[in-house]
Amino acid sequence: MFERDDDVLERMIERLREPVEMDPTLDARVMTRVSAPPIRDSRLAAAWDWLRRPRDFSLTPLSALAAAAVLAGLALWLGSRVANRASTLARPDTAVVQFVFVAQGATSVALVGDFNDWDATTTPMHPARQGGLWSVALPLPPGRHRYAFLINGWLWLSDPTAPRALDDFGTPSSVVTVGG
Amino acid sequence: MGTSDAEIVRRVRDGDTAAFAVLVARYRDRLGRYAMQMLGDREDAEEALQDAFVRAYRSLARFDDRERFGPWLFAILVNRCRTTGRRTTRRHQIFVRDEASLERAPAPAAPEWDDTVRWALERLAPGMREAFLLKHVEDLDYDEISRLTGAGVSALKMRVKRACEQLRVLLTEVERV
Repeated sequence: MFERDDDVLERMIERLREPVEMDPTLDARVMTRVSAPPIRDSRLAAAWDWLRRPRDFSLTPLSALAAAAVLAGLALWLGSRVANRASTLARPDTAVVQFVFVAQGATSVALVGDFNDWDATTTPMHPARQGGLWSVALPLPPGRHRYAFLINGWLWLSDPTAPRALDDFGTPSSVVTVGG
Repeated sequence: MGTSDAEIVRRVRDGDTAAFAVLVARYRDRLGRYAMQMLGDREDAEEALQDAFVRAYRSLARFDDRERFGPWLFAILVNRCRTTGRRTTRRHQIFVRDEASLERAPAPAAPEWDDTVRWALERLAPGMREAFLLKHVEDLDYDEISRLTGAGVSALKMRVKRACEQLRVLLTEVERV
């Protein structure tokens, strides 16, 4: 495999091939995570049960007025939140970028990039009804952003329609430039 | 001989979540070695390893029976190490502005062999380290590495060759100290 003067390299490889012992409590941590019921689902189920359960209650005119005031306040607050979000999206220094990728037969596609810390859970893409088309739109600040698509949670692919960039691993990723 | 991976996967898919613990125990140390060497930090390695197992479990319904479980799990870990590695690199970039000083970092004085090995491995660019470990430590062939990393075989050969050259220089330098 190596030349004679590679003794030192062979010694290094021998050392690296020695077994490593990981913390056995890691097993329990993994099993705790995989055994836990999906929190979102159980909460949704509980909320759904609560909403469906019939109840009898009485209301005085005064408490009915108070409830109406609370509802009106809530509506105003929600309205202002929507308006704020709309103004954020419309801010002149951000642009909504639509990412599209064709992945026939994929079960999940996520957009990963420096804008979401390459986290596969932050920006899942949504499948079209047919054609294997996946897409997502998100606001990005001006500048050069590197990104890639993560198919089925493990296959890393660049965007064939965008300029390519090599990262530290020599893995192809793509570049989108916003503004300027 | 113990129960095969395929049999355990079938049991987990049938609802026996606890059976997954057998796979975790079976692959923990082997995969942990790669994560430790790739990331150079036990805590980061454990995080990547834990994430890889959890993601594998959640993707088990989509796992193709014709595939072997071990390489499939390994592919997930390679990706987790990349993600963790990128985050770590960014963290280092925040704290260490003078990258040139890192390049000039001297070899450890009168080091233990383990320190030397770790030091030399850390000097490699992540892509070269990844290719070197998969080829010479995990003993995978280039086609397998290509499937795992998405890189072409010829690019991988070049990376491994350059990694070996760089390591040889670094290790020889330390041997002379």
